[in-house]
Amino acid sequence: MNLITKIHKVPFWSWFWFILGVLYFVLPLYATLVFSLQMERDTLSFKAYESAFADPEFLKTFTYSIGLAIMTIIASIALVVPTAYWIRLRLPEARRIVEFITLMPFVVPAIILVFGLIRIYSAPLNIPFTSITLIPPLTNFKVGTNILIIAGYIVLGLPYMYRSVDTGMRTVDVRTLTEAAQSMGANWGTIVVKVILPNVRTALLSGALLTFAIVVGEVILASFLGVPAFGPYLFLLGQHRAYEPAALSFTSFLLTWAAMGIIQLITGGQGQTTGAH
Amino acid sequence: MAYLELNNISKIFGKTTAVSNFNLKVDRGELVSFLGPSGCGKTTTLRMVAGFENPTEGKIIIDGKDVVNKAPNQRDVGMVFQAYALFPNMTVANNIGFGLKIAKKSPEEIKKRVQEMLDLIHMSDFGIRYPWQLSGGQQQRVALARALAMSPQVLLLDEPLSALDAKIRVSLRAEIRSIQQKLGITAIYVTHDQEEALSISDRIVVMYDGRTEQIGTPFQIYNFPETAFVASFIGTLNSFNAEVTDLKNSILSIGGLHLTTAENLEGRKVGDKVMIAIRPERINFSSEQKKANLFDCSIENITFLGSIVRIQVKVGDLRLFMDTFNNPFLELPKIGSTAEITCSREAVIILNQEMI
Amino acid sequence: MEKSFLPARKNKTPRSSWKAWIGVVPFFLFALLFLLLPSVRLFVGSFTDNSGKFTLDNLIQLFTQQTIIDAYKISIQISAVTALAGGIFGFMLAYSVTVGGLPKPLRSALITFSGVASNFAGVPLAFAFVATLGRTGFITAILKNIFHMNIYQEGFTLYGFIGLCLTYMYFQFPLMVLIMAPALDGLKREWKEAALNLGANNLQYWLKVAMPVLLPSILGSMILLFGNSFGAYATAYALTGGTLPIVTILIGAQIRGDVLHNPGLGYSLAMGMVVIMAVSLGFYSWLQGWTERWLK
Repeated sequence: MNLITKIHKVPFWSWFWFILGVLYFVLPLYATLVFSLQMERDTLSFKAYESAFADPEFLKTFTYSIGLAIMTIIASIALVVPTAYWIRLRLPEARRIVEFITLMPFVVPAIILVFGLIRIYSAPLNIPFTSITLIPPLTNFKVGTNILIIAGYIVLGLPYMYRSVDTGMRTVDVRTLTEAAQSMGANWGTIVVKVILPNVRTALLSGALLTFAIVVGEVILASFLGVPAFGPYLFLLGQHRAYEPAALSFTSFLLTWAAMGIIQLITGGQGQTTGAH
Repeated sequence: MAYLELNNISKIFGKTTAVSNFNLKVDRGELVSFLGPSGCGKTTTLRMVAGFENPTEGKIIIDGKDVVNKAPNQRDVGMVFQAYALFPNMTVANNIGFGLKIAKKSPEEIKKRVQEMLDLIHMSDFGIRYPWQLSGGQQQRVALARALAMSPQVLLLDEPLSALDAKIRVSLRAEIRSIQQKLGITAIYVTHDQEEALSISDRIVVMYDGRTEQIGTPFQIYNFPETAFVASFIGTLNSFNAEVTDLKNSILSIGGLHLTTAENLEGRKVGDKVMIAIRPERINFSSEQKKANLFDCSIENITFLGSIVRIQVKVGDLRLFMDTFNNPFLELPKIGSTAEITCSREAVIILNQEMI
Repeated sequence: MEKSFLPARKNKTPRSSWKAWIGVVPFFLFALLFLLLPSVRLFVGSFTDNSGKFTLDNLIQLFTQQTIIDAYKISIQISAVTALAGGIFGFMLAYSVTVGGLPKPLRSALITFSGVASNFAGVPLAFAFVATLGRTGFITAILKNIFHMNIYQEGFTLYGFIGLCLTYMYFQFPLMVLIMAPALDGLKREWKEAALNLGANNLQYWLKVAMPVLLPSILGSMILLFGNSFGAYATAYALTGGTLPIVTILIGAQIRGDVLHNPGLGYSLAMGMVVIMAVSLGFYSWLQGWTERWLK
């Protein structure tokens, strides 16, 4: 037997860093879990969870946030998919500008975005130098505020949604698909619905799940725009209660994990780089 | 004594035998190709010489010393990879000088040697360029220079041209061969392209499924294939199963057809099944010259391949290909017509192994 | 036959007619209304004083008013610390599951978890850390009861600079992992083998080839981390209740009209932040371009 026959070296340092990483990930979660189970004195129980889920405010805000998320996803898809498609097929010159725009939300983080949105839309939006009103002050109306926050969420999710869809379209080569469909006599509508959408399903799902995760937990836009969403509710809860917030936080973690896990599964392991905060 | 020797080399990965019982003696200054399809073990064997794989069994001897126990960075071999060969963060000059720098040569020495190498590959002014500024062919030339800068005992090339365009491949392989001969360096060249192997090698090792099928010069491999695989892998071939019918006159039969061969049928019996092969270029129309074997055939198809015209004919139940040189003044027979074809006894080769 | 609405493919695509731009109007309109206009409003507002006239005062105050300078200082410090620490930790983690040779399942687990953790910010994260390192937190208790270390007595507090950094790390280093894992994958096996073949040892390969190739990615990612941390609000607010005066908290207070009663100042604060983020993004893109060029 040769001397160099590899005695498989145990990669000590790799394990070291990995275990350190695992500890850092897991300990806060574990602490939260344990804490959330300690509502009843001297025993572990799910009382905190019962109490949290039984709170009518919880249901109200949670469903509201989910509603917002769904609307955001739909609007986002309706905005992004045709645009990405159009650019790929008809207008490659616009690509640079559009990609630049999708990078903007990084430069304009949520706190600044909400600042700007409030300042502009708490007053009527006029054509410059006239008093002709294009859009009435959105923040004065509940519907208006909802529109505003959904728009804000679309902006926040834009980088991920657009990139996801764009990559998906590149991978399936929508141009070739379109030409093939056309040569078989399909019209434009049929092409989009029957050919393109099904093929970018994975990308859409991935973007949708990410958007969902962002919206449900979002706090900044929600609290500054004064909407009854889950984020502000959770924050307020933290001011008055101890165990229920922990329970909800842990639940929120599980939800995010589920969403990410599904994304992993359907994209086969392509990581999403994000930075919600 | 051979400069490079591989003795009884084998490599087993778990349950798979990648290389079995590989034996080869290479003389100093010889270029030997390992030729075969993907998965035949040629790259694995090369990597064992380089030190990136350890043989399960066997010895690798370079200039009298067994190197099997030496780490890859302690062997005196230079390797050229198929792709991603160059370090992207370094200029061409720094790439070539990398090994010398590691060996702590003086800056003047390094500079001189690098320029020598650049001149050798005819890229004298490319020192300051970066790999991403070079074409594929240029990158591979630099990779070659980098390997040669260290004056290694053996040069190893792992399908260096596979990732390049066809035209570049042809010109670059000639350049590699000429540099190798100029420097007199012993080299092993792995490829799956038989034309490449035939054109530049001193000898070829044809491999299949981890086994050595045949070792010989290009001439030998092409004209005297020893196994069915070698015969079919190199060039085009007409091959059939036949039966020995007449030992004294060396006659074989296929269906109702009789072929006379020049091969020795000693040790065989009447009724033995053998596999025979005839190269397409050894079959001619009998109008040119009549030889030992003569048949009537019908013309099925004619394909124009440039310098060669390939004619597909049917003799009885057999389908044969015959190649003839293109000649603008030659009148070719029409499809569907009949003709008489002939080939010599020597053209009928018996292969040692059964058809797989 | 229906005329194709796709222009025929040509090698040199000529500029599309203006009609083609109609297709992207919805998107541009949206961007205009909800991204561009707010940004411009803030930009213009930072040069406006209370009575609506043009002024550079707000801008000057950015550099002169002590509270603001302090806020920027702290924000930059937190961002730098978490970018560096998160960057290094994240890199080592990414290394361990790629080049470092840990089993494949561990790698997918790490990537999934990193995806989760980099999203798990804001209020829930703050609560999680309170449960861990707060006064009655899990780790605090362990340190007190088992190791007899009362960290709060020693001056540690979760609700200040160090606490915030530790909390931010939770989404910083996963982000680094997500970016660096593919980058580390991009290290070609051939480079290491070529280096060894030419006589180098492992360390020399890393110092002379691998690290230089990875450097733009590493730097770029750290800059991304910096920006990420700089723009964070929710986590900080949930954890410190707005007591730690970082730039985002200050802006938040501005929106509520709390503190400075000078809207123009709020705008210029926001603008200052946008500039920092834009510069970060610029550097990141530039470094990205380098990487792409090298690894064509």
